Amino acid sequence: MRIFNPSFGMAAAGPAKVTLQPVNWATDAIALISNSKPNARELLEGVRAMLGAHRPVDNIHFHAKNSASQPAPKELIEKVAKNYKAALLALGD
Amino acid sequence: MKDIADQEVIDIGDMDVEAFNEYANEQGWSDGMPLFVPTEAKVAKFVETVRGDNRPYPPVPPRQIVPTLQALAANAVMAGCKPEYFPVVTAALRGVLDPEYNLHGTLATTHSCAPMVMVSGPIRHELNINCGTNCFGQGRQSNATIGRALGLMLLNVAGAKPGEMDRSTQGNPAKYTFCFGENEEENPWTPYHVQRGFALTDSVVTVMSGEGPHNLNDHGSTTGDGLLTTFAGGMSNPGSNTIYGKGPMFVIIGPEHAATLKRDGFTIDSIREELWKRSRVHLSRVSKENLVTYETTGHKPDGDWLTIGRDPKDIHITVAGGPGKHSAFIPSFGGTTVACTRIAR
Repeated sequence: MRIFNPSFGMAAAGPAKVTLQPVNWATDAIALISNSKPNARELLEGVRAMLGAHRPVDNIHFHAKNSASQPAPKELIEKVAKNYKAALLALGD
Repeated sequence: MKDIADQEVIDIGDMDVEAFNEYANEQGWSDGMPLFVPTEAKVAKFVETVRGDNRPYPPVPPRQIVPTLQALAANAVMAGCKPEYFPVVTAALRGVLDPEYNLHGTLATTHSCAPMVMVSGPIRHELNINCGTNCFGQGRQSNATIGRALGLMLLNVAGAKPGEMDRSTQGNPAKYTFCFGENEEENPWTPYHVQRGFALTDSVVTVMSGEGPHNLNDHGSTTGDGLLTTFAGGMSNPGSNTIYGKGPMFVIIGPEHAATLKRDGFTIDSIREELWKRSRVHLSRVSKENLVTYETTGHKPDGDWLTIGRDPKDIHITVAGGPGKHSAFIPSFGGTTVACTRIAR
């Protein structure tokens, strides 16, 4: 007996490949991004404080999604891509 | 041997129904209840019912694959649908694929949300969809299997496997199935799909990522004003997602409550306005820790109150059910929309 596979589908075209640049964690600008759930910001504050023991932190900035339940807006993603060499994402839940 | 996920058609040999169900469980295709076998012949009958709808499907998140009609039909067959239900199921799928519905978020969340499927228009009676007594409950093949088919598509096509992509803390019985019809015949105002701009003669599916129905019992009130006090009390919930996730919700009014509200001069708009005002949550009912979180994420209180949505239009109103003094409140996931799709026929 032959059946149709209920999980079958065609692979969607993936996003354009991006070549990652090397990051200098001692000096480069870093975005700390919260998913806007409780404790994500606190976790990032701890990360920033720990980084501060080894490097300047004036170019390490906090960002957050508008809503914990929705994707990060395109504007935020573009802003982070344009202004930072690295991003750390905290998922509070 | 080719991986099963890459094969559109699978030869399962000489399996009986029990053996197929064991096999389907092993593949992760089941919601836990018995499945019908999606044979090529059965799937072909379902696909024939949607030949008039040639619009391609977008990639389905989170798995991001573009489904074939045959794969979608296989899920409807497994759910126990009749072929004529399939256009309703595919319309519901198109609804949850509206980007504003936020399918990825609603499937991956720890919240208990499941797709609420409401059917409006003439097709309700053609398919024997229950709009009256026990409309949210058991008893009709159409209600039971249309909702179930959408759930199986989200499991098998979208990839929302419990404990993997579906991270719901407790889940919700509505994840098995949640489909009902509007009781347009006992709606003293305007049917929901007409409120949304469709013709009365259109058949429409409305979807919202919601919780199960919360009962609003009021046997005592004899005025519309009294009923709205009860409704608003039931909606005023500091544990609701929409108190900080701001989003839509449904109030499904039972026909007897609807008749009382209509008699006392209430309209859809005035009901929304009154419920909006009366369902606010006083800050004394919100923990200090939560209030800090809400404020830091942009959900500041209005004076001493938190609203349960963005504005009165977040409260969607219609009529369903049979005799009795009950209505229902269905809160949503929050970051979602109420999507309506005309059923292609």
